[in-house]
Amino acid sequence: MRIKVNDLSFSYGQKTILNHLSFSINTGDFLTITGKNGSGKSTFIKCLLKLHKIPNGMIYMDDVDINEIKKYHNIGYVPQKAEFNYEFPITVKEILSTAYQQRTYDQFYKSIVSSLNLNKFYNENINNLSGGQLQRLFIARALLIKPRLLILDEPTVGIDQENVNNLYQILKQLKNEKITIILITHDQEFAKDLYDHLLHLDEDTNYTFTTIGDDKNV
Amino acid sequence: MFNQNFLVFLGFFQDLIKYKNIYVYPIIVGVIIGCLAPLIGSVIVIRRLSFIADTLSHFSLAGVCFGVLLAHQLADTVFENTISPIALGIVFSVIGTLLIEKLRSFYKNYKELSMPIVMSFGAALSGIFIALSGDSSSNITSSLLFGSISIVELKDFIVILVMSLIIIIFIVIFYKKIITLCFDETFAKVSGINVKLLQLLITIILAVFISISMEIVGVLLISSLMIVPVASSILVGKSFKNTCIISVIFSEVSILLGIYFSYTLSVPTGSLIVIFNIVILLFIMIYRNLIKCFKKKNTKQLDYSITIDPNTINENVDEVTEINEEDKEIVKEENLENKE
Ligand SMILES: Nc1ncnc2c1ncn2[C@@H]1O[C@H](COP(=O)(O)OP(=O)(O)O)[C@@H](O)[C@H]1O
Ligand SMILES: [Mg+2]
Repeated sequence: MRIKVNDLSFSYGQKTILNHLSFSINTGDFLTITGKNGSGKSTFIKCLLKLHKIPNGMIYMDDVDINEIKKYHNIGYVPQKAEFNYEFPITVKEILSTAYQQRTYDQFYKSIVSSLNLNKFYNENINNLSGGQLQRLFIARALLIKPRLLILDEPTVGIDQENVNNLYQILKQLKNEKITIILITHDQEFAKDLYDHLLHLDEDTNYTFTTIGDDKNV
Repeated sequence: MFNQNFLVFLGFFQDLIKYKNIYVYPIIVGVIIGCLAPLIGSVIVIRRLSFIADTLSHFSLAGVCFGVLLAHQLADTVFENTISPIALGIVFSVIGTLLIEKLRSFYKNYKELSMPIVMSFGAALSGIFIALSGDSSSNITSSLLFGSISIVELKDFIVILVMSLIIIIFIVIFYKKIITLCFDETFAKVSGINVKLLQLLITIILAVFISISMEIVGVLLISSLMIVPVASSILVGKSFKNTCIISVIFSEVSILLGIYFSYTLSVPTGSLIVIFNIVILLFIMIYRNLIKCFKKKNTKQLDYSITIDPNTINENVDEVTEINEEDKEIVKEENLENKE
């Protein structure tokens, strides 16, 4: 999915978070966004996903203004903090099988479940899961919709090393399949060899956008 | 004492056979409603829609009263038997849904203002229609408010069957999307579900269901019919499916007991159904507390050197590595107990 950000500004009330942000990425590109806490990384994603309202002409997906898009298709989103309804009993299996719109339990489904090591607590109520286990569940759920665009907001937080490695392998595979990926991370080392673009946000609303390959050897 | 009860019981079944349509229709309708109510109720609980349910039931009441009025006006004409109050109730509650949506768009910050407006509008219309129909016997009013089993007629029965079928088909087709939307609206939105449309469909289904269950349980008690069994089942349910099945069982038990005792005691059906539902809820709460006490006692008797809150342990099962081997055993035991 091509994404073009054209002079995007966003503020919460008086507080400006994003200021004249412009860049663009192509289908199959891997964009990593870094920056300190509160620099506006999650806010940018929320603008992109229309969870915050922005004026026309600021973000385009495949050359269409996002405000013109009636509904999004196949965007896999793993939020930093999922606004999930935890009170009602539901199991890992039930969340995954209802997110998956095809016939469940085929090869693809099984491979996702096992690649994130969800088998051990597959039939558990989600209230019994640890933070890292939940995070892996939400990553799996996003992968199950076969995303054209995958957005991961600090996915490695709370996950043990083994599963971070698994996630890296999954991202590598998805990149080979030309899936567009946006990764927000604090972990500068994570998936370092995968990204094509790096967007760094400052607290004082400055930013730098670099494309690897242009200056990888600088 | 026992004999008398038994005779009443026998009488109930004799009447059942004798006046088939008077009792069989309500029982069939009761069983269908008993199954659908908690299923729709789960969605209402998760999406926090109970206020909408109340609003729509009042607006639907206006439709039913309009039907009663029409039937009265058209008495002794060719159209005499064509009016089904329930069908009109369905039409009205769908109109109510659209009205709420329309009103919401007028206010940015007071969106819920649309509900009391539509609700009072419905109640006001109902009053007028009942008065105009001239047949403002307290009988009709009381059955509409608290429910009655004796007012289900053949044409209403058919409307109820058809509508229930439509609701069931809707649930079967959309259940994956409904569950995804219920639990995580953001995810539903970006992954390709038309949230607005699905939300509207859910509300319309809710409106239809409210209308068909109104005659049995009454306007005032419809939302509790949907919500109380779910409130009980989420305290004991292990999974979504399991919770739904348990709530359907609770709901069916209450409805069948409610219909039976409503017959024998001549008390409004809806009131009894809700009372039974609440009794079940109380039992569940007591049961939960007993289990908690029992666990605490058990822990004390065995005199563990550390106190472990089973809830937090369950969350962090992976991370209890620092605790020594002996304590690990305890953790395992506690977890097993929890699962039971
Ligand atoms: N809904 C909100 N209302 C007001 N301020 C917010 C809201 N969400 C985030 N902020 C503020 O905006 C800034 C950027 O937040 P965020 O985008 O979440 O940062 P990051 O994801 O880079 O850590 C923070 O200072 C935060 O306090
Ligand atoms: Mg963030």
